[in-house]
Amino acid sequence: MFLQQLINGLVLGSIYTSIALGLTMIYGILGIINWAHGELYMIGAFAALYLIMIVELPYFAALLATVVIMAIFGFLLDKLVFSPLRGKSDNTIILGTLGISFFLQNLGIIIFSPNPQGITSVYNNMNLNIFGVTVTYSRMIILVVTIVFIIFLNWFIGNTKTGKAMRATSQDYTAARLMGIDIKFVSVVTTIIGAALAGIAGSLAGPIFLVYPTMGILMVTKAFAVVILGGLGNVGGAIFGGFILGIAEAMAAGYISSALKDIVAFVILILVLIIKPEGIFSKYAVEKV
Amino acid sequence: MNKYIKWILGAAVLVFVLVFPFIVSKAYHMHIALMIGIHILLALSLNLVTGYCGQLSIGHAAFYGVGAYTSALLTLTFPIPFWVAFFIAAIVSAFFGLLLGLPTLRLKGAYLVISTLGFGEIIRLILLNWIDVTRGPMGITGIKAPDSIFGLDFANKTNYYYLMVLIIAIVLILMRLVTNSRTGRAWIAIREDQLAAEVMGIHLAKYKLIAFVASAFVAGFTGSLYAHYVRFISPDTFVLSESIAVVIMVLIGGMGTLVGPIIGAIGITYLLEALRDLGQWRMVLYGLILFFCAVYLPKGLMGLYNYALIKIKSKREASVVKANEGGI
Repeated sequence: MFLQQLINGLVLGSIYTSIALGLTMIYGILGIINWAHGELYMIGAFAALYLIMIVELPYFAALLATVVIMAIFGFLLDKLVFSPLRGKSDNTIILGTLGISFFLQNLGIIIFSPNPQGITSVYNNMNLNIFGVTVTYSRMIILVVTIVFIIFLNWFIGNTKTGKAMRATSQDYTAARLMGIDIKFVSVVTTIIGAALAGIAGSLAGPIFLVYPTMGILMVTKAFAVVILGGLGNVGGAIFGGFILGIAEAMAAGYISSALKDIVAFVILILVLIIKPEGIFSKYAVEKV
Repeated sequence: MNKYIKWILGAAVLVFVLVFPFIVSKAYHMHIALMIGIHILLALSLNLVTGYCGQLSIGHAAFYGVGAYTSALLTLTFPIPFWVAFFIAAIVSAFFGLLLGLPTLRLKGAYLVISTLGFGEIIRLILLNWIDVTRGPMGITGIKAPDSIFGLDFANKTNYYYLMVLIIAIVLILMRLVTNSRTGRAWIAIREDQLAAEVMGIHLAKYKLIAFVASAFVAGFTGSLYAHYVRFISPDTFVLSESIAVVIMVLIGGMGTLVGPIIGAIGITYLLEALRDLGQWRMVLYGLILFFCAVYLPKGLMGLYNYALIKIKSKREASVVKANEGGI
């Protein structure tokens, strides 16, 4: 039971982590609180649904194609939505991206119909046995792909020139600009990475959970809880927070009741806000009253 | 001159509001008018926290829901009159406002917004899952109409309409007094610059809490008014999109003004009804309106109006100066 819930928690946690990573990077580097991030997750899930069920691409090819689609989408998001919002007040940014979130959700309802749909994947019926616990391949793929992405992202931010530019921008926007860093390019790359991560999470979650246009709402609220748990703009914190929330939810579902599962995120959120509002891993950003 | 126009306009609006039930014939129009009334109260109450005190909250439907459930459950379980339940609903909701206000005192921007959202979700999930008390997703049916006073039966839509107008008028007068008082000015100071306000000796925690509690109080009895008007409540009403709708009303009308939220509430409620033929497309449009208003019209329609007034004034002054120069 415990091991089963732990694995469920890790799988759930990797989805939260992928979404929260993009969210926290976009905040840290662009200074934008992106409410429409849950819709990126939704679009990724629908892209995978159409590629697998209608185009009939094999699973991993569909995943790669989803990344490409999300990259295009990320580019558009940066140019059309984030550019006009840059440098505006927090409240303006929150309301603006909320509007985009509403827009995409309802467009999704028109295009895809509001009914939940499932992705049938061959990996859904293949089981893997770990220490006496049975796990489907689909779930293992989520965990493995997420870890691969985290390692890749870590390498990218740590070792490439663009990654260095991203870190510099997140530390000090103006200084980075004065040093000749192409801020527009950094912003596009960040948004594309964020969109791709959320999209991949959507396409990975598709075969396990159902796919529907409003699936992003609960996800983005939980991702925000994760991001606050780890500290806004903190990449390591988002990874850690995502897995913590996933495991906490799985344990709550297993040992208390599955109805209470969705409350866990908000209880953690409020506890963190009362005890250490700057997040477990950050050292600054509290407002003193 | 300008003052006269204001008075005439105000009188015209008042007359229109009072004769409205005699102009319209369909029950449907009365229903829309009553829902506009509910939304005006919600927008005005959110305006205290968000418009005057500058604390953006997207969990406002929670207070509305707490008020509605408190009032409905009280009148169904105990033999107490509506008016008592009405005030208890407001007080319980105000207590929840304190509950949200206390931990969020230190927060601002994204942190504040997310915690108000989390608060709203917790309340919604409790309403949905505490089936013994709230009857969960089935909702509560059989809520009574308010007890009649002076022989006026409030099951009648027209009478309910006048009750609503009276309550809105009282709320407006009180808000006008509060926002022009020391408290209101403290809120505006906090909104404009928290640090400067603190340096000037404004007790931040105290005034922020007052804003949260006052706002929740008004939203609470609005919930009661809603529950006893529709006579059926379920958690589906008190959701995030309702909170966001109220934020949009305040934003589009103009934050931190008393007229703005009213215009916003009327405009948005009417627009959503008028565009019913568009089906889902109206929600798509709604999202776009929110985005463009946030980016290009952050002070709302009232902001635009004030901007126009200033422009006209400066033009007039410029022409006066020109005329004087010509005279020399």
